[in-house]
Amino acid sequence: MQQISRRAALALGAAGATLSVIGWGRDAQATPDAAKAEIAKFTGGKAATEGKISIELPEIAENGNTVPLAISVDAPMTADDHVTDVLVVAEGNPNPGVATFHFTPLSGKADASTRIRLATTQNIVVTAKTSKGAFYTASKLVKVTIGGCGG
Amino acid sequence: MQRAGMMTAGTAALAAMVAGVITLAPAAAQTKKEAPLVTTGDAAARPWKRYSGWPTRDESKWSTLAKVASPPPPKPEDVKKITGPITGDAKKGEELVADRNRGGSCLACHVMGPAGGANLPGNVGPDLSEIGAAGREDEWLYNYIYDARVYNAETVMPPWGSHGVFTDAEIRDMVAFLKTLKSPAKFKTVLDDPNKRPAPVEKRENLDPMENPGMWAVDKAQELFKQASAKGSCASCHSDPAKEFKTWAASMPKWEPRLGKVLGVEEFVTRHAAATTGAQWLMETDDNRTMSVYLHFLANGAPIAVDTQSADAKAAIARGKELAERKIGELNFACTDCHGKAANHWIRGQWLGEPKGQYDHFPTWRTSLQAIWDIRQRFQWCQVNIRADELSPDAKEYGDLELYLAAQNDGLKLSVPGIRH
Amino acid sequence: MADTPKIRVPKTAKKGEIIEIKTLMPHIMESGQRKDKDGKIIPRKIINKFVAEFEGKPVFSATLEPAIAANPYLQFNAKVEASGTFKFSWTDDDGTVTTAESKIEVA
Repeated sequence: MQQISRRAALALGAAGATLSVIGWGRDAQATPDAAKAEIAKFTGGKAATEGKISIELPEIAENGNTVPLAISVDAPMTADDHVTDVLVVAEGNPNPGVATFHFTPLSGKADASTRIRLATTQNIVVTAKTSKGAFYTASKLVKVTIGGCGG
Repeated sequence: MQRAGMMTAGTAALAAMVAGVITLAPAAAQTKKEAPLVTTGDAAARPWKRYSGWPTRDESKWSTLAKVASPPPPKPEDVKKITGPITGDAKKGEELVADRNRGGSCLACHVMGPAGGANLPGNVGPDLSEIGAAGREDEWLYNYIYDARVYNAETVMPPWGSHGVFTDAEIRDMVAFLKTLKSPAKFKTVLDDPNKRPAPVEKRENLDPMENPGMWAVDKAQELFKQASAKGSCASCHSDPAKEFKTWAASMPKWEPRLGKVLGVEEFVTRHAAATTGAQWLMETDDNRTMSVYLHFLANGAPIAVDTQSADAKAAIARGKELAERKIGELNFACTDCHGKAANHWIRGQWLGEPKGQYDHFPTWRTSLQAIWDIRQRFQWCQVNIRADELSPDAKEYGDLELYLAAQNDGLKLSVPGIRH
Repeated sequence: MADTPKIRVPKTAKKGEIIEIKTLMPHIMESGQRKDKDGKIIPRKIINKFVAEFEGKPVFSATLEPAIAANPYLQFNAKVEASGTFKFSWTDDDGTVTTAESKIEVA
């Protein structure tokens, strides 16, 4: 009778499936101050006005590995008045930077969605720059859940 | 190409390496309609080696799904006598109840006033925020932590003292902390309150490859299906898989008399491939999972309809139920503790689901791990997580348990690969 | 196959319509923060830039950090005035650039 060979079993077992956790180590965390510094670099120190930006994020994320994020800036997106850049920073990640989106009038809308990594419960801060040199900002808290039995 | 992270590399190379030692033999004693299966040998690696990255603790002294080894529960007369008031270190106790390295911590199941910053506690057990004003004797508090079974044989609470997770002194510290709890917990956000936290709803489009990387296995499987091994490929016999397997996976797992156990899709794939094409698709290898995703995918939309009526199926389901109710591991949980008695509650930040709905999406993509898990790996993880040794994925006990679970999911339509956290 | 980018662009649009574009690039997005079994840092390897152009003109681009999840997904919009070709490119830390194209007909 045909066998599933013991050698095959051993070889495959040794190299077999690994638990592959993609994401962060558990060491350093950024601080709200590091995030502020990142934003200051983006605005050149100019003050950003609260508003014009909506952030869509789950209130509670079952894990921080792939958290859906959508941002939308209320802007006409015409040649002479449009959003040019949007900076996304996370206050509690190892590094505050998440992404910078660059828009043009051809974008049609200053909307973008992606999926992000969050090391822990934290604020996400979004800052937008317009072609007229104005800055807007908004933030949102995401709670990243803690596993049950230590898992 | 396989994605690092999604699938481990090298499986194909290994299969090629070992191909030389496989001797194909005709499946002689088969009746007409039976699919050829290799009925000897193991369908998974031996000795079973725990996945890398998983906790490596040796839990061999505790019961598993294959053996009863844990000490028997105490009797009511085994209450530990405590003379005089307990004077532990309440501050240490507060740290201990929130220590996630000690079996998930008390906060996994209880709200406990300010402990752990009241950050996402669970609600499997009662809110203990005012236990210090409830007039409980120190002896009662001590014994409830040490081994709650002396007061309540039906409890799901781990026997922290009997199983040696906490020492006598540590339990006294925790009792001292409990005695300080006299006012309701203050939550930073409404989400921290487990009684107000909304139950998670899975809304992602699990069959959209833009959403679910698990779907890429379906593409990969179609190549694998045509890939020739020693004696041909799947496609040599199965020319129209979409038609042939329209409902097949929804009828699995099934009692297999030639093996004397319940076979799920994954073990079937291993044994059938070995008997036909000669492919070595051992359970919990990438190729096996990929084929399992594909075969389930082809049956998507078909309601789960496993055999529950034959005498063999009935006996297997009865065994599966008994296994689901067996207390295992250092934490002394049965499947039915978390997914029965405590179902629809929060265990810390995670929602405990009922058995129904825990099967129709397997194998599933796990966003937290960036990997596909089949149901057997899910079983294994539950066990390792409650500090019990897992079994090999082809263990007959898992077959019985899988059939019992599938029977509870009867009628639910397959939607594979799922996407879960 | 799993390594090729996935794109979703409507095949047709009306003149001046703002369409939705979805892109996904299979990539591990190794953050440079993780350690291997021996405690050594696994070097960072991410897609650090994404660019979308229409007929050579910039539509949308993104600078990505390690906080972007594996298999970077981007959804954005484009205002189309005429038929033409979208070109997308993803730049890896190692310098590799992966590109993809998609045509759209404007009625």
